[in-house]
Amino acid sequence: MINRFFMGKGGVGKSTSAALMAVFLAQRGYQVLMISLDPAHNQSDIFERNLTDKPLEIFPRLFAMEINQQTWIRAYLKDVHSHIKKTYSYLTSFNLEKYFSVIKHSPGLEEYALILAFEKIRKDYSHYDYLIFDMPPTALSLKFFSLPSLSLVWIDHLLALRREIIRKRELITKVKMLGKEFEADKVLRKIEAQHHQYQTLKDTFEDTEQTQLFLVLNPDKLSHAESLRIFNSLREIDIQLFHAVYNKRPVDEYCADIDPVFGHIPVLNFPFSKIPLIGLTNLQNFLNTNKSVLENQKIFL
Amino acid sequence: MTEFLPFLKNKVIGFLKISDQVARYKAVETIEHEVEELENIFGVLVLGSFIGVPSPPMQISLDLMPFMEKELILMLEKVDTANAPISQLFSVLNIG
Repeated sequence: MINRFFMGKGGVGKSTSAALMAVFLAQRGYQVLMISLDPAHNQSDIFERNLTDKPLEIFPRLFAMEINQQTWIRAYLKDVHSHIKKTYSYLTSFNLEKYFSVIKHSPGLEEYALILAFEKIRKDYSHYDYLIFDMPPTALSLKFFSLPSLSLVWIDHLLALRREIIRKRELITKVKMLGKEFEADKVLRKIEAQHHQYQTLKDTFEDTEQTQLFLVLNPDKLSHAESLRIFNSLREIDIQLFHAVYNKRPVDEYCADIDPVFGHIPVLNFPFSKIPLIGLTNLQNFLNTNKSVLENQKIFL
Repeated sequence: MTEFLPFLKNKVIGFLKISDQVARYKAVETIEHEVEELENIFGVLVLGSFIGVPSPPMQISLDLMPFMEKELILMLEKVDTANAPISQLFSVLNIG
């Protein structure tokens, strides 16, 4: 199973490029699941179907679904809250009630909701050959990819501090209780579990055999500038670009070459389409007319 | 006399046991305080957003929160003594 992410500046055609890739792969006989992580949810409009959080068959071997961030945030907070109610005394849990009504608006939960959805999808739909992710706008996408690395920095520190506490606590127990058995520390176990979770995600994002990033850009200065920033931000967290997608490239007209920075990255040139790429038929027609765009590229399993 | 000797023996054993316990508790008193402080730092680090301190990504705190009632209560208790750290230190070190 390969995860393919389509990201780029707003309006460059991430959703259309992702849809074209999904249709192309399904036509070639692969099992494909297209997942929209973008709150704008353009895939419903592109495929002219009402997508939900369950895969819907669009075309033989091509399925699509949409992820609602708010649903995932609510479910996650409900889970934490019910866990707290079980483990805390009534009064402490009661005093925390008021915090939970505002936590759902905390920064950072949006990208975590996407991470939870990503993990669940990978687990539940591992029988697909390709999972194609239509990503949200740049800022949220970058937060999504940097969340594991950033969390690991914190977790490493918390882990060291917790181990120090446990070491000292064991010393006290040994002296006081003459070496009775120690109770396993639930917090330490949870931090270790978190470490494993984020390390696995980080490894998945850094492994180009599992994660392939397509950066979509247009032949204009703003799109180039933002793509460059995305490229550099990803490089800082050791995530490589798999392909650049030069979308809406004018045919028979002068068009600026792709920025030399992306020179070593393979480029897919999607020409400008005069017909809006909406509906399965239009997408298929576009692929038939522009066969060479994807056929000659090394973009398969 | 025959009744007095076992009574005395028990008293001496009892005294030694208590002395041993007192010595053990004394020996770890400072470390206990240190652990309490570390647990407080840990609480502040993880749950700092509740008292206005920079904190880790929200989901790390939320995932750990169900297991940290003790730290949360300790942290709230510490707020009471936070304005008099020297007097607290003197009391730990038995000065004055």
